[in-house]
Amino acid sequence: MLLELNNIYKWVTQGGNRIFLLKDINLQVEEGEFISIMGPSGSGKSTLLNVIGMLDNFQEGEYNFLDEPVHSIKEKNRSKLYKEYIGFVFQAYHLIDELTVYENIETPLLYKNVKSAERKALVADMLDRFNIVGKKDLFPSQLSGGQQQLVGIARALIAKPKLILADEPTGNLNSKQSEEIMQLFKELNSEGVTIIQATHSETNAAYGSRTLHLLDGSRNHK
Amino acid sequence: MIRNYIKIALRNLWKDRTFTFLNVVGLSAAFCAAFLLSMFSLFELSFDKFHKNIGSIYEIYTSSETSKGTEFSDANPIPFAEAFKTEVPGVEKITRYAKGGPLVSYGDKTLKLDLAWVDPDFFDIFSFPILKGTAKNPLANQLSIAITSKAAQKIFGKEEAIGQTVTILRDGAEMPLTVTAVLEDLPAASSIGFDAVLNFKDLPASFYADNIDRWDAHNHPIYMQLAAGISPEKFEKSTAAFSNLHFAEQIATTERDGAKPDKNGNYRQIRLLPFEDTSFTNLNNGPKVSKTLEYLILGIAFLILFIASVNFINMSIAKGSQRLREIGMRKTLGAGKRQLFFQFWGESILVFSISVIFGGLLAFLLLDKFQTLFETKASFTLIATPLVIFSLLLSLMVITLIAGGYPALLMSKLGTLQALKGKLENTGSNKVRDVLMVVQFTIAILLISGTLVLWSQLDYMRTKDLGFNKEQVITFPINTKKDRKQVLQLLRNSLEGEPGIVSVTAADNNLGLGKDGRTSITVMGFDYKGREVKTNLLTVDYDYPETLDIPMLKGRAFNKQYATDSLSIVINEAMAKEFGEKDPLSVRFILNDSVQYSVIGVVKDYNFQGLNKSIEPISFFMNPNTPLYYAYIKVAPTNLSQSYDRVKQAWNTIEPNTEFLGSFLDENIDRTLNDERKMTTMISSGSILAIILSCIGLFAISLLVVNQRRKEIGIRKVVGASTSTITILLSKDFLKLVGIAFLIAAPLSWYLTSQWLQSYAYRIDLSVWIFLAAGGIAFVIALATISVRTIQAALKNPVESLKTE
Repeated sequence: MLLELNNIYKWVTQGGNRIFLLKDINLQVEEGEFISIMGPSGSGKSTLLNVIGMLDNFQEGEYNFLDEPVHSIKEKNRSKLYKEYIGFVFQAYHLIDELTVYENIETPLLYKNVKSAERKALVADMLDRFNIVGKKDLFPSQLSGGQQQLVGIARALIAKPKLILADEPTGNLNSKQSEEIMQLFKELNSEGVTIIQATHSETNAAYGSRTLHLLDGSRNHK
Repeated sequence: MIRNYIKIALRNLWKDRTFTFLNVVGLSAAFCAAFLLSMFSLFELSFDKFHKNIGSIYEIYTSSETSKGTEFSDANPIPFAEAFKTEVPGVEKITRYAKGGPLVSYGDKTLKLDLAWVDPDFFDIFSFPILKGTAKNPLANQLSIAITSKAAQKIFGKEEAIGQTVTILRDGAEMPLTVTAVLEDLPAASSIGFDAVLNFKDLPASFYADNIDRWDAHNHPIYMQLAAGISPEKFEKSTAAFSNLHFAEQIATTERDGAKPDKNGNYRQIRLLPFEDTSFTNLNNGPKVSKTLEYLILGIAFLILFIASVNFINMSIAKGSQRLREIGMRKTLGAGKRQLFFQFWGESILVFSISVIFGGLLAFLLLDKFQTLFETKASFTLIATPLVIFSLLLSLMVITLIAGGYPALLMSKLGTLQALKGKLENTGSNKVRDVLMVVQFTIAILLISGTLVLWSQLDYMRTKDLGFNKEQVITFPINTKKDRKQVLQLLRNSLEGEPGIVSVTAADNNLGLGKDGRTSITVMGFDYKGREVKTNLLTVDYDYPETLDIPMLKGRAFNKQYATDSLSIVINEAMAKEFGEKDPLSVRFILNDSVQYSVIGVVKDYNFQGLNKSIEPISFFMNPNTPLYYAYIKVAPTNLSQSYDRVKQAWNTIEPNTEFLGSFLDENIDRTLNDERKMTTMISSGSILAIILSCIGLFAISLLVVNQRRKEIGIRKVVGASTSTITILLSKDFLKLVGIAFLIAAPLSWYLTSQWLQSYAYRIDLSVWIFLAAGGIAFVIALATISVRTIQAALKNPVESLKTE
C-alpha cells in the first residue's frame, strides 16, 4: 500500500462556524494506481491533493504514507518524504520564469544534492524522452501552454517519484494538447508511477483506473 | 548549486533593472559618503596615537579655585618643570614647550618657519624620528636646531643640512644656530606641529631669562611622561605639597578673596591631561574631552548607511511579494528554508558587493575634493591599520547580513501553499516597512533641521555686530627683523594721507584669526582694594579705538598730547564693572609693586574673543616696551580692494623679504568660524544625501504599491473616482508616515540643537519655524517623489489596468 487516509477532517473557522473543507475522507491507494478525483469547484479536490502532497495540514484523522504516519512526524521528515517520493504538476504549470527549460527541470535535483554529472545525464534523458531537447535553452514565456506543461511534468518526474499529483493538469490547455498530456500520464502509469489527478473533465477522468467523487468535502458515494 | 544561485540572482536583478539600479545608486552613494565621513572622523580620532609612549604622556595643567569658581590653565612658570621633576617622584621625563615664528635666515634667504622650543627630554617623550645627524638628543646643547626634512628642503635645497648654520633674531641680535639633526616630516595626525625645534633656553630673554626664577609668570605648556606603575590620580594627589610650597603666595591671595577649597582642601591642584586627549580638549571650558564632532560625523555616516539599507530591505520585501510563486514552487520542489535563505541572501550580497565597490571607487575619486572642502589631510592610507580594515570588513558583513538577510529570512519562512497561491499576509511586513520608513524620514528631518539651525547660527555669528568695524579694517602681522616700532612708523609715513587710507594703528594681538593663523591670550591679575581682579591685556598704539570704530563711553583714548599715557589704561565696560567704582575714571591701581596706573577712558564692550564666550574684561595698555605684532589699517568704504593693494604695496616697499599676510577683519572672523563651517557643510551634505536616499526608497515603494493596487485603481475609476481623488488616496498613506516622522523628529531635534547652542554665549533663538520648515521640506520632497508615480497611475485608462487581471 502506497498511502492510506483514515477519517481525515480539515476545516476553517469562520464567524464561529466550522466550514469543512474535507470531511471524513477515507482512501487507500495502491502502487501503480491511476486515480481521478472529480467534483465541482470548491468540492475540495485541490485541498485533498495538497493534503496528500503534504503541502497542507489537516485537523483530524490519520495519514500513512509508505507506513510512515504523516500526521505525527516532524515537518522536516515530512518534507524529506515528499521530496523523495512525490512530484507535482499544476494547472498553471508554475515554472520558474527566470530559469530556462533545462534549469527548471534540473532544480529538484539541486535540492536533492545530486552530483553535477549525474544531473546532466538525468536532465538529458528527460529532455530526450519528452522531445524538447531543442527547447532546453528557452524560457517558459517562450513556450506554448502545452509545452510548458510538458516541462512541468518532466520536472515532476526528474526525481523519480513514486507518486505524481496533478491538479487540473490540462485546465489551461486546448483539447489536442490535453489529449497528449493525458496520453503521457497513461504511459507513465503503465511504467509503474502512481498518479492522482484532480479534474473537471469526464474524458480525462476516464484515463484513470478508478474515480473518486467529491462534494462539499465528502466522498460522494452515489 | 552556487552557480545556479548566481545565475538566477543575476537574471532577477536584470529583470528588475529599475530596482537594482535604484538600489545600487543609493547604496553606492551611501557607501561613498560613509567611507569618506568615517575616514574623516577616524583620522581625527587617531590624532597623536602614533607616539610610542602615548599611554604615559600627559600635559600638565592646573585647576585653581577662585572666588568666581574653578579655573583651568595649562600655562606654567619657567622654573616649574625642573623643580617638578626633582621634587615629585614619578616624573620620568619632562619637557617645556613654546612656539613662535621669528624669521629664519640662511645666507641671503629669509624664511618664516614655525619654531618650537623644547627641553632635551622632548625627543624621548615624543616619537619624532631623526633621519640624519645626532640621533640621540640633538638639542643637548644650546644654539642647536633640529629641522624637519621638508623645512630642510626649503632652506638648503639639495645642500647637506647637517652642520649648517642658520640665524634667528633674538633680543636684538642675530643668534647663530647649528643644524644638528634632520627629522622625518611630522605625521599628518600630530597635534604638535613645527618646522624646526630649538633648545628651550634659547628663547628670548623676555620669555625665558627674565622669568627664570619667577613662579608668577605663566607662559608655556609642559608635557611629561609618567613613570610606569603610577596611576595619574595618585600622582596628582602627591603633588599637593609641591603646589603649596611654590604657589604659596597665589594660594594666600585666592584664600583672602574668599575662594573655597576643593573637596581635598586644596586651592590649587596640579593635574594631568592624557596627551591623546589634548586635541579634543579646550581648557578654557574645563578639562572636558569632547569628541562630539567626530562621533557626530561617524553617526551621520551610520545614519546614511542605515537609510540606504532600509531602502534595500523595503524594496526586497516588496519585490518578494512578486516572487511568491517562485518561492512556493521551489518549496514544492523540495527547497529547504536554509537553501531559500541562501539564495535570496546571495542576491543581496551581490548587490551590496557591487555597491561597496562602486562606493569605494567613488570615494577614492572624490577624496581630493573632500580634502579641500573640509581642509583635512585625512586619507585612506593614513587610517588603514589592520584593526580599521578588519572592522570595516566586519561592519560590511554585518550590514549585508542584516539588510540582505532580513528580507531573505522573511521570504524563506513563507508557507508553501500560501506562497504558491501568491497570497502574502500583508499586515506584518507592511508594518515593518512603515516603521522603517518613519525612521528614515525621522533621520532626514532631524538632519535637515540640524542643518537649518547650524546655518542660522553660523550666519548669525558672521553677521553679528561685534562692536567694532570689521568691514573696513585690514590687519597683518608685522613680520620683520627690523625694529617693529620703526617699521610701524615707516608704514604710517607712507600710508597716512594716501587716498582711501583712514587711519593706522597697531596692537600686540590680532582680532579673529589672520592669515598667519596665530592668536594669543594674555591675562593679568592684580590686587585692587584688597581683592584680585583679572583682565585681558592688549597693548595698543595710538588711535586703536578710533581705527576699529569702538565707541568711547567715558573719558578719552590715548593721545600723543599727554606725556603720561604710558601709565594710563583704557578699559571696557566689563572691566569697569570688575572695578566696581561709580566713576571708573577715578580708578588708580598699582602694578609691579610700585608703578601706579590710572584709567583714562572706557570703551563700549566689543567681542574681542569668539562668540562662544561672553565679553570678558579687557584693558588697553600703551607700554612702549611691548612689541606690537599686528598692524591695523582702516580704509575708506569705497574701493576696498584698491586700498588693500595700496597697503600691500606699502608693506612690500618697507619689508620686501617677507610676505604680506594682510586680511580684512571680517575674513579673520570668518576664519575663526572654520569649525562651525566644516560641521555645517558636513551635516548639510549628510542631510541632502539622507533626503535623496529616503526619497529613492519612497519612490521605489510607491512604484510597487501602485503596481499592486492597479486593479483597485481601475475599479475606482470605473465607478467614477477622479484623478485627483485617486492621487490623494495613493499619496495619503505615505504622507502620513512623513507626518509621524516629523512628530518624532521635531522635539528630538529641538532638544539636540538647543543643547548644541548652549555652548555659545551668543546664539540664535530657536523658533518653531525652523522645525516646521524642515518638516515642510521633507513633506514637499516626499510628495513630489510619489506624485510622479501616483498621478501617472491615476491618469491611466482603467480598461487597461483591468485587462491585466
